[in-house]
Amino acid sequence: MAEQDVVFRVTRYRPVPGGRPTFQDYRLPFRNDMVVLDGLNYIKDHLDPTLTFRWSCRMGICGSCGANINGQPSLTCETFIRDVSRGVVTVEPLSNFPILKDLVVDFDDFLNKLASVKPYIVRKDWGDWTKEYTQYPEDLEAYRQQSLCINCMLCYAACPVVGTSPEFIGPAASALALRYIRDSRDEGADARLARLNTKNGVWECTFVGECSVVCPKDVDPAAAIQTLKVLATMRHLRRLLMPASR
Amino acid sequence: MARHEYPWKRRPGWWLRNPRYLAFQLREAGGVVCALYGLLLLNLLMQLREGESTYVAFLTMLRTPPVLYLNGVLFGLVLWHAISWFMLIGKAQPVQLTRKPLPWKAVFGINVVLWLGVSGAVVYLIFGGI
Repeated sequence: MAEQDVVFRVTRYRPVPGGRPTFQDYRLPFRNDMVVLDGLNYIKDHLDPTLTFRWSCRMGICGSCGANINGQPSLTCETFIRDVSRGVVTVEPLSNFPILKDLVVDFDDFLNKLASVKPYIVRKDWGDWTKEYTQYPEDLEAYRQQSLCINCMLCYAACPVVGTSPEFIGPAASALALRYIRDSRDEGADARLARLNTKNGVWECTFVGECSVVCPKDVDPAAAIQTLKVLATMRHLRRLLMPASR
Repeated sequence: MARHEYPWKRRPGWWLRNPRYLAFQLREAGGVVCALYGLLLLNLLMQLREGESTYVAFLTMLRTPPVLYLNGVLFGLVLWHAISWFMLIGKAQPVQLTRKPLPWKAVFGINVVLWLGVSGAVVYLIFGGI
C-alpha cells in the first residue's frame, strides 16, 4: 500500500509551574488504513517518546483515546487519517477539561458527577443473594441504547454548556442515570431524579444537540436529557399533588 | 507531588468554529428577537391608545427603510428559531405512535405542514383571502 506524508500538529503541555500548551509538528508517513491513534503511536515509537496520550483497546470500546481532531471531538482509534488529513491533522486534548499533560485531560470532575447519579442498580432488598432478578428482552431494550455509553467524554468536550457552566451534570452522566432509571430491576429512580431536577442538573441543557452528534456509540445523550426533564417534571408534580406518595 | 493542570479556557468566537454551534446561537438569538418583537407590538397598542396621529407617526417610522431592513433580519431569525425547533421536537421528545418512535424528519414535516396550515388560516382571517 502506497505511503504518503502527513503533518500531525499536536498539543504539548508540560505540567510545570507557568507551563502553557503549545503545538508541535511531526511529519510522518501514513497508509490509507492508518487511524489517528496509529499516527500518534508512530510519533511515540519513532519520533518523540515524550508525547503522552491515553489509549487501550484500539477498537472503539474502551473510550480512552478521545481527542479533538481538527477541532472535532473524536476517538483517535476510529478516525482514519485519510478522512481528516488535508496535509495537516491537528490533534488537541478534549475541550472543557483541564490538561494534565499533552493530550491527557483530568476526568475527576466527571467521575464525581457520575457518582452523584448512582450509576448502579439500587435495590431496597440489596444483600438478599437468594433472589433472582429476571428480565425479558423488551426490559433490556428499554435501556440498551444508554447502556452502550463508554465514558469517552466526547459529549462533554462537544457541549458548549459544559464549557459555560462547569457545574452542569452533563450528557454522559445524564444518559447513564436514564439507563438505570429504565432498568426494570432498579429502585433508585427517585434519588437520581432528585439530583437531576436541580439547577445544575438536566435543566441546564439548552439542547445544542452536539453531544449526540459526536457520540461514537449512538447513545443520544441529548434525547436522554429531554426524557429526564419529562420524568423530573412528572416526579415533581406527583410530589406536589400527592404528598403521600413520597 | 503537586499537580500543575492547565485549566480549560474557552476561546473567543467558539460558536463560529462549528456550524452547528452557530445554528444554535442563531436559534437562541431568534428567541430573544421573538420577545423583543412582542414588546414592539405591545408598544404599538400603547401608541394606538395615545391617539390616531401618534399611531400613524409610529406606523410611518416602522415603514422607513432601516426599520424594514431590521424587520427582515428579525423575521429571518424568527423563522430560523421556529424551523430549528421543529427539527428538534422529534429528537427532544420522540413521538411513540408505533413500536419505534417516529423519525425526527417525519415529526418535522408534520409540524411544518401544521404551521403552514395555521399561518394560512390566519392570513385568510385577516385579509379575507391570499
